[in-house]
Amino acid sequence: MSFRDRERREQELDEEIDSHLRMAEQDRRERGQSAEEARYAARREMGNVSLIKEVTRNIWGGNWMSALSQDLRYGLRVLRRNPGFSLIAVFTLALGISATTAIFSVVYGVLLRPLPYAQPEQLVQVSEQSAQGHNMDLADPNFTDLRQQNHSLQGLAEFSAWLQSVSGGSEPRRVMVATVSSDFFPLLRVAPVRGRSFAAEDQHPGSGAVVLVSYSYWQQYLNATQDLSAVKLHVGNDVASVVGVLPPGFRFPENADVWIPRELSLPLPSRSAHNWQAIARMRDGMTLAQAREDLGAIAKGIKKQYGDDADLVGAAVSPLQEALTSSVRQSLLILLGAVGFLLLVACANVMNLLLAQAASREAELAVRTALGASRSRMVRQFMAETLLLSLTGGVIGVIAAFWGVRWMIALAPPETPGIAGVSLNLPVLFFALGLSLLVAVTLGTFTAIRASAGDVRASLAEGGRGNAGSFSTQFIGRSIVVLQLAITLTLLVGAGLLGRSLMHVLSVDPGFRTEKIVTVDLALPSAFENDLKIRRAQFLTDLFGRMRALPGVEEVGGTNALPLATGISSNGGFATVNPQQLTPQVQAMINRAAHGDLDKNPALMKELSDFFGQLFRDPKQGGYADYAVANEGYFRSLAIPLVRGRLFDDRDGADAPHVAVISESLAREEVWHNQDPIGHTIEFGNMDGDPRLLTVIGVVGDVRERNLESPPRPTIYVNYRQRPQATSHFSVVARTAGEPATVIASARKIIRDLAPDVPPSTNTFAMIFAASTNARRFNLVLFGIFAGTALLLAIAGIYGVLAYSVARRTREMGVRMALGASAGNVLRLVLSQATVTAAIGVALGLAGSFVLTRFLRTMLYEIGAADPLTFAAVAMLLFAVALLASYLPARRATKVDPIVALRYE
Amino acid sequence: MSRKERYQNRIELLQGTLDLLILQTLRWGPQHGYGISQAIRDNSGEVFQVDTGSLYPALHRLEKQEWIDSEWKVSENKQRVKAYRLTALGRKQLATERSRWKQVMEGMAGILNPSGEENKA
Repeated sequence: MSFRDRERREQELDEEIDSHLRMAEQDRRERGQSAEEARYAARREMGNVSLIKEVTRNIWGGNWMSALSQDLRYGLRVLRRNPGFSLIAVFTLALGISATTAIFSVVYGVLLRPLPYAQPEQLVQVSEQSAQGHNMDLADPNFTDLRQQNHSLQGLAEFSAWLQSVSGGSEPRRVMVATVSSDFFPLLRVAPVRGRSFAAEDQHPGSGAVVLVSYSYWQQYLNATQDLSAVKLHVGNDVASVVGVLPPGFRFPENADVWIPRELSLPLPSRSAHNWQAIARMRDGMTLAQAREDLGAIAKGIKKQYGDDADLVGAAVSPLQEALTSSVRQSLLILLGAVGFLLLVACANVMNLLLAQAASREAELAVRTALGASRSRMVRQFMAETLLLSLTGGVIGVIAAFWGVRWMIALAPPETPGIAGVSLNLPVLFFALGLSLLVAVTLGTFTAIRASAGDVRASLAEGGRGNAGSFSTQFIGRSIVVLQLAITLTLLVGAGLLGRSLMHVLSVDPGFRTEKIVTVDLALPSAFENDLKIRRAQFLTDLFGRMRALPGVEEVGGTNALPLATGISSNGGFATVNPQQLTPQVQAMINRAAHGDLDKNPALMKELSDFFGQLFRDPKQGGYADYAVANEGYFRSLAIPLVRGRLFDDRDGADAPHVAVISESLAREEVWHNQDPIGHTIEFGNMDGDPRLLTVIGVVGDVRERNLESPPRPTIYVNYRQRPQATSHFSVVARTAGEPATVIASARKIIRDLAPDVPPSTNTFAMIFAASTNARRFNLVLFGIFAGTALLLAIAGIYGVLAYSVARRTREMGVRMALGASAGNVLRLVLSQATVTAAIGVALGLAGSFVLTRFLRTMLYEIGAADPLTFAAVAMLLFAVALLASYLPARRATKVDPIVALRYE
Repeated sequence: MSRKERYQNRIELLQGTLDLLILQTLRWGPQHGYGISQAIRDNSGEVFQVDTGSLYPALHRLEKQEWIDSEWKVSENKQRVKAYRLTALGRKQLATERSRWKQVMEGMAGILNPSGEENKA
């Protein structure tokens, strides 16, 4: 039945009843009654016109739409009649739904959204597995074996990406340059939209350098030129032709703008040089388990064949999307759980409101039941009301989530994978709709069950005056508050643990100062050839000199491994070597290596790594350390203390014996056999291709280089004058007398003079330091907001339930006071109820937290997941707040005037 | 619980009866709602008072079952009225209802006037 039909029938029914009334009236007048008498009598005889119409309409049956719209209209009237209740309920639901939707949009955008490649479920990340169970990047020979021997993959590609200065476009830019092996684009099934992809002739050592560029780079810096042949880009030490432009949006890996064939340089022979990430596409119909088995067997074969030369024990294969988001997966899921808790607390509040409202509507509901409204009809009515509430809440929630998402994207650590793709898209909107419907159905069912459980006759007899509310209503109301308190406590404990973790992190001594330091990051070409080395050392010396001369600059230094900043630190084996004990053959080998480019001589490299590799693995002779290139000004600028010996100086030129400064933790290692390491000679050429021995000249304080949370790692510093080659990422630091910002402009100008093709990235070290705890802050802020909001809602909940119970017990209080109860008695009566409720809630919450906070464990720092202090403090806080919230209603109970309360009847 | 059941049974009985009465009334020709109620009252010797609250739902129900149909007419008093008329299907239904009613009557009579009962009384 269409709406129009229905409208016509409504009119006809009205007219039919009218004509009935008129005829009855007329008959009576004809029988001699006065006009007025006749009209009243006819109406009396007719009875309840609207009820007749309603019952008749029900006969039509008709579609569920009109029944629903009727329910909704009625629901709307009910909600409008009670605007305070409706507003609070809608706002509370909007709060819960908006927070949940906002978090879900991040979870969806980062974790769930399928990768934008063909058949993304076939894409996997491949890693080597260490004996300790860690995933390691691939070493070239292992990659080759895995690629050639597998039966489960359509393709396996190794790649690596780092920031480089790229010039030749409209302006020099620091961009991510990805070096990718031949299978990379075919296995992703990505083809250039302009030009061509890499071809076989581009993919061998010595072929002319070619690059692919991203669509956005092509548009912004190549002016979207149609003629690519005219474009030459300087990437590192190469001048490369641009052969193609990749499709819009394609930036894999790591927001790359430029891609270079990996095969331009020779593979390293070492099976333990873990330099390459790898992705693969599984063959059609191949499962993850099969691929794991296949690659695992190959990895074990490699280990068996090469023994100590290979440090892998297996291969790890994980879905690419999972691998790309593994760093944030857990914390995002925890946040989703936390916001789900918040939604529960919000729903609980609305539940209590509905419960109170249903109680005050007992009379209305009883009348409806007495008039024959069926139970299902009542349930539908409640559903319609909660549907209105939650859909309105949902709409407001989604609008609020729009801002929430923008705020979260701004707050999230920029390195969060996929954060740029987060938005309120269709799947997220569906989620919000589903959430609202779920909330509506849950709340509606709950109230319907509660309301229709009442006794009709008792309610009618009450005449809607209401008494203390049935025991079960009160019990349910309190149970809801207990649950609210328990959930809130869990959230508060979580926030407390995260907060104390952040405090612990911030109170860590990083081993360096961060105030008044300007940092200038440079992406330089590699400098492994002899003349490049000399030029690089000179460039850095000039740079330090000119920076030092700037007014306001007190000290200037530089390193390739600025703590907390680079995110990558090179690390490898070293060995203590007594030069007197080296055979002439080894001496000759070292000399040959020192004066050539080792990268271009794999045979020599193999010889060296065979000889020294065994020394690294012997704890009496060697070990593993981080590698850093620095100058003496670096230690002074960052106030890294010199513990013993001396720092580098001008004596330590390129032709002088090579020297090294080591960190305290390295100096404590047993490799020195309890002797002062100063004066010992070490071999660390694995890191920069220069195997000349280094003489230890000084010991400096430990530095937390990777992040504040990891303990300092043993570090060997080499002198930039002697080993300037591994400086493709170099940070200049300048300690300033005043505000660091004033120096930045002058520093940029110096770089522009000395290296016009190298756009610097400037910052203050304080900012870098702050950014290093971004992820922690992000989690804490969100968790804190959820916990705080839940706390407010729970306070409102316990206040509401008690205030309501006091209001309904006005008569009882009046009687009590009339019988001689003091204000103190009444206060205690109400407060004791609140105390019991709060105590149960807190106890339940503590138990729940104990179980749930273990999921937080990986996000905690130097604090147990069941930290007694946090638990106790939060429990006390919540308990106190709950009692405070109950004090007001309790006070109101004592203000009851017995006379008024009794006369009220 | 028991009270509720009895209440519902009574409604059912009334509904069945009302349908029969309406169909029977319409056998004499089209009639509007008020006319039907008056006819039932008059013909029953004013024993049956038709509740308007049951009449219209019943009329609409019968119409939905296509036992009667309706059209708007102008009455003798120049009023627009909705007149109901028996359909062929309605006639058949009337016959069924009548025979069922007859069975009920006979059954009731058998119970109310058994030979043994008379002797005792």
